[in-house]
Amino acid sequence: MASLSSSLVRGVSKASLDALLEQRGPGPFSASARYDALARYEELPVRGTRGGRGWKHDLTKLDLSTIVPFAPGSVADDLSNEANAAARGRGVRIERIGASVPGLLGAAVDTRDDKFASLALAFANGGTYVEIPAGLQLDEAIEINYRAENAAAFPYTLIVIGEGARATVVERISGDQFVCGITEIVCAARAQLQYVAEQRLAPTARCIMTRRALLGADSHLEAALAELGSELSVSRFRSVADEHGAHSSLTALFFCNGDQHVDLESEVVHADGNTKSETIVRSAGIGRGQGRYLGNIRIVAHAHGSDASLRDDALLLSEGAHIDSIPALEIAANDVKAYHGATVGAISEDELFYAQSRGIPRNDAERMIALGFFEPAVARFPGEALREGIRTTLAAKLDAPA
Amino acid sequence: MAEQSLKVSRLHASVGENEILKGIDLEVSQGSVHALMGPNGSGKSTLAFSLAGHPSYRVTSGSVTLDGEELLELSPDKRAKLGLFLSFQYPAAIPGVSVANFIRTARQSLHPGDLPPAKFRKLIFEQLDELDMDPAFLGRYVNDGFSGGEKKRLEMLQLAMLAPKYAILDETDSGLDVDALKAVGNSVNALRASEDGKSIGFLIITHYPRILQYITADHVHIMMDGRIVKSGGPELANVIEREGYDKIREEVAGGVA
Repeated sequence: MASLSSSLVRGVSKASLDALLEQRGPGPFSASARYDALARYEELPVRGTRGGRGWKHDLTKLDLSTIVPFAPGSVADDLSNEANAAARGRGVRIERIGASVPGLLGAAVDTRDDKFASLALAFANGGTYVEIPAGLQLDEAIEINYRAENAAAFPYTLIVIGEGARATVVERISGDQFVCGITEIVCAARAQLQYVAEQRLAPTARCIMTRRALLGADSHLEAALAELGSELSVSRFRSVADEHGAHSSLTALFFCNGDQHVDLESEVVHADGNTKSETIVRSAGIGRGQGRYLGNIRIVAHAHGSDASLRDDALLLSEGAHIDSIPALEIAANDVKAYHGATVGAISEDELFYAQSRGIPRNDAERMIALGFFEPAVARFPGEALREGIRTTLAAKLDAPA
Repeated sequence: MAEQSLKVSRLHASVGENEILKGIDLEVSQGSVHALMGPNGSGKSTLAFSLAGHPSYRVTSGSVTLDGEELLELSPDKRAKLGLFLSFQYPAAIPGVSVANFIRTARQSLHPGDLPPAKFRKLIFEQLDELDMDPAFLGRYVNDGFSGGEKKRLEMLQLAMLAPKYAILDETDSGLDVDALKAVGNSVNALRASEDGKSIGFLIITHYPRILQYITADHVHIMMDGRIVKSGGPELANVIEREGYDKIREEVAGGVA
């Protein structure tokens, strides 16, 4: 291959999809499924988000005309690390998304109603299938790394955990190109899954991720999301506690510094009785960072005995920072417990004075209190190395707010 | 020659438009214990916060010196560095910051580099033991979910660990049960009996005389309506115990008329 094409395909039009199919074949999705998905992307409206006052980003005007949707080679997802080798040795399937799993994709967790999920499906150019067999108890975390370099990444991740199994999956996104992907999680009865998604894109990149989980009877999903990088991060997470006794925990944190903008939405659907959920979100803004969090708890009519809580706390550390916090509840059943609470504000003067009265200078006290603010959320991420990495990044944002 | 005292001279302070302190004169020399008593609303906590430099309390005139250095222009952390400590009546919670981390950071700010980690650990475990506190405290977040007694014990732990020159205890006995009160008393007495702590000057602010059954005061002052109206020895506390503040109020009113 002597020379690269002098004109890279750009943008997300039908023409670029034609080019992708010609150069790389349809991969795990049929050509018709991809074209249908592209049509849906073009027709569906952006759901929910209306630009807030002074927002830099308007999703309805998202311009993707300059992105490079694919390049020779694939999304550099390296699945061959030691932890994964050990897991494979114990019967876990960890493989590139390919023809072997078409039956499950989108069948259990449908994302066709979403504009950007449809885009991700249309241009899917790499992804991972993880299948944890029933009964397996896995201590070491399975790692999935997506790196968007040279071209945009449209990763499609499907995680299926069998009855009574227990495992941890860590999904990392890095690089400096556009990312638009889907993660689907299916938990069989009594399965226990810890799922971490850590996004550390360069400050010029944009990222739109749609994640959905379906929880079987008495299963437990502990999901933790850290949106740390990118210029624009749109993150959508929905879990459905689909059967009796299912338990969904979500922890999310983000810290917008400089000109970052994070738009996070989470929804927990209690679709059956005696299901339980906690959602804990902590965010901060500094510099000119902007954030938006919409959190919904939906309890359907027959989901008696549901117990749901949603807690969102946001800290504003500069005049220019702005965070919108929108907790919501849709409850259609009696005999449920549902709690939601939200705070948005600056560091409390009482806390500052208390720390200063112990000789701690104001700047150091602010730093200590701001990092302490995130700690209850950081503590819910599994593994000390992961937690330390997050703490280091949060501290760096405090020290270099612009 | 520099004075070795915390000296308050003709101090006037306001909260918003209201003048609360109407000319306070008080001198706590090193190693002595002064008790400041008074009914609710007399301005006792305002005095404590004004000395510590809380931004909501505006000093309008007067001076405060610590070992000869003027405090009033200094930020709260600089006052602490000169040697002032305030035990809060309602200590703030700082979620996410562990007790160990907080005290270590404070100690490092106040006395940089003087205690290597091993010595610090030894000292803090000794103090936890003195205060009958579970070492698990060190990992808990500062005052987060603490009972009243636990909060006061943490104030005493900080008093013992931060080696101040002058300590103001603001209503340390309010809302405490007998055990917690004894713990506070023991803590202060142990500190005063120690080599390092014997020169600490104490200003104990209290509404009830109870704490003074555990800590012997050298001087007792009564504060009313923003002024110190009577000063005396420890027996003055017994008068309050027996007769409340009304008698003194009458006495003072009689004097003014």
